[in-house]
Amino acid sequence: MIWEVFRQEKPGDYHKHCGNVHAPDREMAKLFAQIQHGRRMQTKSLWVVPQEEIGEVDDEDTEFGGTTDKAYRWAMTYNNIDASFQKEVAESEEDQREAAEAAEADR
Amino acid sequence: MTDLSGDERRAVEAQLFRLADDEYVIAERYTEWQIYAPTLESDLALANVAQDEFGHARLWYDLLQDDFDYTEEEVLWRRDPGAFTHATLTELAFADDGWGDAVVRGYLYDTAERLRLEALVDSSYAPIADRVGKVLDEEGYHREYAESWLERLASTDAEGRVQAAVERLFPHALTLFAPGPDEDLIRDYGIRTESLADLREEWLDTVVPTLDSLGFTVPDPEDVALPDARGRDGTHTDDWYDLHEAFTSTHRELDFDRPTRLRGEEA
Repeated sequence: MIWEVFRQEKPGDYHKHCGNVHAPDREMAKLFAQIQHGRRMQTKSLWVVPQEEIGEVDDEDTEFGGTTDKAYRWAMTYNNIDASFQKEVAESEEDQREAAEAAEADR
Repeated sequence: MTDLSGDERRAVEAQLFRLADDEYVIAERYTEWQIYAPTLESDLALANVAQDEFGHARLWYDLLQDDFDYTEEEVLWRRDPGAFTHATLTELAFADDGWGDAVVRGYLYDTAERLRLEALVDSSYAPIADRVGKVLDEEGYHREYAESWLERLASTDAEGRVQAAVERLFPHALTLFAPGPDEDLIRDYGIRTESLADLREEWLDTVVPTLDSLGFTVPDPEDVALPDARGRDGTHTDDWYDLHEAFTSTHRELDFDRPTRLRGEEA
């Protein structure tokens, strides 16, 4: 039986797939995984998952993200805000702050 | 170097050699399973256990060199095989169909190892006490691994071979608790805080019920005759002399001035 192994380096990190081990059951899989996948690199935690329990969908089954142009999803333009837009953003934030303060004072 | 009195120094050295020799010799035997263990994973796991035990042996042999002015050749490579004080359990060659032998041996040894290390946590000799925690942290895996295999081999086709291994190895495992010539000194100076008799009792209280519950029959310890060779007093089985010859042969053939060390090994 094959168990897929996922390794987490630091607390809060995702467990990332790092390989597998052959083992008859979960207990042995955990013992083997420690040696094979947790010994040489910094490891906070390991998951072992029976290979047949993993569901898969691949790019032959589906078109990931659809087929029409959805370049807007990349949203790269937010990284390039020009000076005039920065001013607009700052003014808008100022307006909102004043409105909030006015609403607070009316209460 | 330390300024211990003659007797206290003898006691510390005797305890260190018992520790180091056990770890070194059992690791030497474990390595024979490389490429032969039942699966790739079990092979890697046992090789890793062997590496750990070599590391522990290094820790204790280094202490003998640092504090008592021995050289590495004197503690290992050029030492008289009759001066080694490991238990005979660690030196025996594996039985021909031996994976059950390796599993049972690991289980009996690692259970005893934990008890002994716990009796060294409060050793009067501080450098021993300082190092014990590090070793104990690694021993947990060894026990878990051996127990896990033992459970799996019970109630299978391998059961009979495991039972045979229990019967063969049990008397030799009892030599783990056999005294050496300096045992009284070890106790008098508080190098180890528990007697061998107490450690033996605790060990029996763990291994006998465990093996029993898995369906194996353990010989009655009161009826077991200890092997002629006890290990602790320098008497050994023929298997030991063959093993000693094998692991020292490269050193002898190459005729080094002194043993090579890996870079960073003394860091």
